[in-house]
Amino acid sequence: MRRTLIVGGRVLRQLRRNPRFLVLSIVGPLVIVYFLKLFFDTFPEGFDTGRYAVPAAAFIVHFMAFLLCAIALVQERTAGTMERMFVNGFRRAEVIGGYVLGYLGLATLQAAVALGEVLWLFELDYDADALAALFAVVWLLAIASVMLGIFVSTFARREGQVFPFVPLIILPSVFLSGFLVDVDELPGWAGWLGHAFPMLYANNVIQEMIEPGGALADVWTNFAVLAGYGAALLALASLTLREIE
Amino acid sequence: MDAVEAVGLEKRYGKKVEALRGVDLSVRKGEVFGLVGPNGAGKTTLIKALVGSLRPSGGRARVLGLDPLRDRPELRRRIGYMPQSPVLYDDLPALENVEFFGAAHGVPNLRGRAREALRFVELEERAKDPVHTLSGGMKNRVSLACALVHEPEMLFLDEPTAGVDPRLRSRFWAAFRELARGGATLFISTHLMDEATLCDRVAVLRQGRVVVSDSPREILRRGRTRLRVREGEREEERLIGGRPEDLAEALRGYGLRGSVSAVSVEADSLEQVVLSIIGEEAG
Repeated sequence: MRRTLIVGGRVLRQLRRNPRFLVLSIVGPLVIVYFLKLFFDTFPEGFDTGRYAVPAAAFIVHFMAFLLCAIALVQERTAGTMERMFVNGFRRAEVIGGYVLGYLGLATLQAAVALGEVLWLFELDYDADALAALFAVVWLLAIASVMLGIFVSTFARREGQVFPFVPLIILPSVFLSGFLVDVDELPGWAGWLGHAFPMLYANNVIQEMIEPGGALADVWTNFAVLAGYGAALLALASLTLREIE
Repeated sequence: MDAVEAVGLEKRYGKKVEALRGVDLSVRKGEVFGLVGPNGAGKTTLIKALVGSLRPSGGRARVLGLDPLRDRPELRRRIGYMPQSPVLYDDLPALENVEFFGAAHGVPNLRGRAREALRFVELEERAKDPVHTLSGGMKNRVSLACALVHEPEMLFLDEPTAGVDPRLRSRFWAAFRELARGGATLFISTHLMDEATLCDRVAVLRQGRVVVSDSPREILRRGRTRLRVREGEREEERLIGGRPEDLAEALRGYGLRGSVSAVSVEADSLEQVVLSIIGEEAG
């Protein structure tokens, strides 16, 4: 645990020393949400924008957290610092755990900022319980995204090799999660495939909580699956991260 | 027990590339051992196999009596490793880099020890500067400080002086000698033959095989000396053995006293000449 904290502390210090990176990773979601608002403003009046805007904010956080963490870890490999960490006695689980800790703060901030802006720009008004559940699910999705980034990074030897994973992971998230298309209308296999992506569970919670009279009790299993999803990826990544060439 | 023992060490990548083709070598405790060879000879692969970051395809290795893969938690506590080219966190200050790698080993009084390591490489005054603001030679020195912050018994240094100017290179070698005097064993790779003469023993690696392993003096003895003597108008040239006795024997024909049994001539290397010129200019 001590060495996990050491890696986490170092990742945080690096983030702090990269103000440009930090600002971009916060401003990026803000700008995208604003464009989303412009897009939805072209729709006829009475269109239920909340049904799309809140999951869209969740999706942006999911995408950013996944990509930033995956690239940062691949950079460690290409720069040789990953090998140096291992030769200095850091273990795989400690490196991965450290990254989760380091990026946890950033993911939390991204979740809060993106969700806050969507609620404000789209003038969405939910009760405190619904808001708490929305924030919790976007935050949990961000954590799962960090884990997904770590897992994917273990298959890439260069930064460029992360990019083919982006459409492979991100596009099915959009189309199979029920956020744009009703999952029940999809062919059986596609609906089944959607369960492999964390966005589906986040969307299930969001759709329930933004409905008037939505109850957390009806969707709590999605929370559990999302948490389990993150934990499973963490376990998988600590198996696939290569300590020895 | 030797510090390093390697027997028939092999590493293949796919079917075609053979980076190591049966390396045999031994390194004694407390010596400065040089691994010499051209680029692509397999020096980095061999070092990676010895520090346990690469799985050999065949053969076996022992470092400080430990198996580099099976016993790697213990081995990694006892060795220091400086990879080729300075592998550091560019956006962090030099001191934080040294502290990070030291923290992995649970070094007591970490801040003080990290400062001491930077003092040893003469970089204490740049401790708070981010690594990306340092020159290439300074980065190499920070990298060396990271490798020795936990005071390991054995150091593996992969081309530590590559791309370093002659003056800094001689400071590096002085530092290596100081570490060896303190009891550490040093395993240093280089592609510069003149650096090999600064080691206690060397192994010459070529195309993944050890061509020769001995002390630099013994290796030089196997060489030949071209002797050219001019007497009046007559000039004579012949090849003689590399030992001082061979030179004495050859000169006897020109009237060298019979009581002189060995003659050796040691000329400055190009690097030594350049260093003395720099020294004269500095004043």
